[in-house]
Amino acid sequence: MSSAIQEQERERELGHDEFDPIGTLALIGIYFLILASMWLFMYFVEFLGNGPTVVGMI
Amino acid sequence: MNIHRYEKLWLVAALVLIVGFIATITYGSVGLGIAMIDDEAETVNPEKLNEHEDFGEPGVKQVGENEYEVYVRAWQFGFDPGSVEAGLDPIEVPANSTVTFYITSEDVIHSFSVVGTNINTMAIPGEVSSVTVEFDEPGEYGILCAEYCGAGHHTMEGKIIVHPEDEYAINGTDVETGNDTTDETEA
Amino acid sequence: MGAYIDHFPREAKLIRSAFYTSFIMLALGGIFGVIQTLHRTDVVRFIDSADYYTVLTAHGVFMVIAFTIFFLVGMFTWAVTTSLERPLEDMSFSWLWFLMMTVGAVITGVTILLGFVESVDVSADVLFTFYAPLQAHPLFYIGLVLFVIGTWLAGADWFRSWWAWKRENPDERIPLPTFMVLTTMIMWYIATLAIAVSILAFLLPWSLGIFDHVNPLLTRTLFWFFGHPIVYFWLMPAYMMWYLLLPKFAGGRLFSDPLARVVFILFLLLSTPVGIHHQYMDPGIAEGFKFIVMTNTMFLLLPSFLTAFTVVASIEHGARQRGGDGYFSWLKSLPWREPAFTGMALAGLMFAAGGFSGMINAGMNINYLVHNTLWVPGHFHLTVGTAVALSFMAGSYWLIPQMTGRRLASKPIALLQVVLWFVGMTFMANSMHRSGLIGIPRRTAEPQYQGFEFEAALGSVSELNAQLAIGATLLFLSLTLFLWNMLITAFNKSAESPGENVIPTPLSGPDDSPAVLDNMKLWTAIAVVLVILAYTLPLASIVSRGGLLGRGGDAFPVSIDYLALFAQVALESAAGLV
Repeated sequence: MSSAIQEQERERELGHDEFDPIGTLALIGIYFLILASMWLFMYFVEFLGNGPTVVGMI
Repeated sequence: MNIHRYEKLWLVAALVLIVGFIATITYGSVGLGIAMIDDEAETVNPEKLNEHEDFGEPGVKQVGENEYEVYVRAWQFGFDPGSVEAGLDPIEVPANSTVTFYITSEDVIHSFSVVGTNINTMAIPGEVSSVTVEFDEPGEYGILCAEYCGAGHHTMEGKIIVHPEDEYAINGTDVETGNDTTDETEA
Repeated sequence: MGAYIDHFPREAKLIRSAFYTSFIMLALGGIFGVIQTLHRTDVVRFIDSADYYTVLTAHGVFMVIAFTIFFLVGMFTWAVTTSLERPLEDMSFSWLWFLMMTVGAVITGVTILLGFVESVDVSADVLFTFYAPLQAHPLFYIGLVLFVIGTWLAGADWFRSWWAWKRENPDERIPLPTFMVLTTMIMWYIATLAIAVSILAFLLPWSLGIFDHVNPLLTRTLFWFFGHPIVYFWLMPAYMMWYLLLPKFAGGRLFSDPLARVVFILFLLLSTPVGIHHQYMDPGIAEGFKFIVMTNTMFLLLPSFLTAFTVVASIEHGARQRGGDGYFSWLKSLPWREPAFTGMALAGLMFAAGGFSGMINAGMNINYLVHNTLWVPGHFHLTVGTAVALSFMAGSYWLIPQMTGRRLASKPIALLQVVLWFVGMTFMANSMHRSGLIGIPRRTAEPQYQGFEFEAALGSVSELNAQLAIGATLLFLSLTLFLWNMLITAFNKSAESPGENVIPTPLSGPDDSPAVLDNMKLWTAIAVVLVILAYTLPLASIVSRGGLLGRGGDAFPVSIDYLALFAQVALESAAGLV
């Protein structure tokens, strides 16, 4: 993986202001949805459905 | 600081997730009353458990109408009571009861983990884990040690039997208290 | 400019030695890993179940103490010398710390392996966590102490380079790679203080027979004081690769240097005051302390969340410079044929999944569901077992040619290797997480019981075991391919320029961030205050309940009184002389 190869493959030079990471935002948005829904599933279905559970002293 | 607006958006979303997680756990504690094992129980001397008022004779004790206390000693490699394989009694309680387990270890660190439930605690020599649970339904549960405790760790297991309310008599002796049928006893 | 070895031939030799040592440790750890998986799943059982725990101790210690940290010291030496553009100050000092780490690792490793030899009364079947009253032979603890002191000296070496550089460049910002090394090492110094106290004040004297007993909850808590930050010690070299090398491989530049600094500072501050989250199920610690630690832990997610964005954006920048476009189709423009890139990208993807199971572990009461089940090893085989290990292996495909000046033996096999690791770990992690949810315990030679069975909601226990065994086999195969490739590369006659040892400049550079980020004294002070706040009351309570040295109880296996033994031997030989 020499840098010469990388230079060849580079089609354009993008600076900080010309680059909007919209693809990253899209990917991480999907990750957010997965995390939120999996958390709810794990807590309310897997955990609370796994009783008996330890409760406070009565 | 030069932070891209998408990154700021993600920062907010990440904080929402974090606060959401903490809120869920808090709801479980405050809203549903799920308690953590804590430092309420008094410490014991693991060398002198035989002289201890409760751990000297571990087992099930009735303390209220539907309330029971169970003192359990974990050792290499079993639970007393619980380890049927080692010739000891299983832990027997009635359904519709509130049971507080007091668990300690007489040697190394063990765990008291009831399979298929959220009853799961460490048993640390010198410390006592107090765990209160409501058993609503009759049934049988396996107990295992989930903390490595020595060469025979994988043989350390036990049993909890939750009897139908009308068939239960303390000390686990098979006293028929109602006009139940044999079928129900088997179940 | 040229390869690393052209600029720093002496340092390259040291780094090579560290990497090769780490690979040997990885090989040993891998062998023990596959043996124990096939044993516990009851596929092949050729060892006694009592020896399973020796195997497990060896797997844990070789992998997460030796493999990871030997690689780390090589990686950090590369980062400091490359970014400060100066050689190490004194090579004999550098070889001293490397030697010390090696001697320590060998002593501890041999002590563990002697557990297989029944005729020798030396063993350390105490697992990676060595919870008292389980007791190891004193040499186990002595080896660990030497190893840790070696890492302390290594850190001193890098600080020394930085101080020398600072005298010559008083007004410059700390280069990012060095910044990452310094913050990580400060975290490590704080964390290892606890394990030093635990071993030197309690466990070692106890194993020598000076004390009769220790307070098991105290030494356990001190272990986790160290035991949580160590996971970030494993992880930071991988993060460093994702920040510094992955954008380069993708043909882009790091998106934000300032945020990378913020991330490493957050790790320094939050890694340590969270250890009690490993003890949610412990008696003797109040619920309030557990709750505080949980909030700290949840906020520790933040630097990883920020990293996910910055690193993916840097990769996307590379893809777009290579002509990629669209919301998702830019992914196709990435250099997927490059093993170094693909390996790290897959490692990052698995870390995203491991992040999720980590969130569950962090949740205080939901821990009842997963504590000490196979879920937990499922989690850390995604994090340290893939995010870290796979990044290290992928990074080696670039780093080893840099350190040797030799061409990588086979790129296609390297590519196959990283993909195979990913596939193998998918099976293994899937099986472990699901097994954990039905209550199958971790650290168990035979998770098959007399009085009950595990009930799988989906599939069956034998299907879960089959997945675990297949996963372990694929991982072992992948590991073999990696080691073979490294071995051939090390002796490769074909000396080809491995490319330039250059880290591309970030899109948003350090000048965009406030100078206070580089104030190491300030961040150290805050980190120490946070640790004091998090630990003073729990530790005081544990000591006042159970005593500094505990209230009683024997060591297991029942300890030999070494001092008495020495005295006896000395007396007998003196008598013989007379």
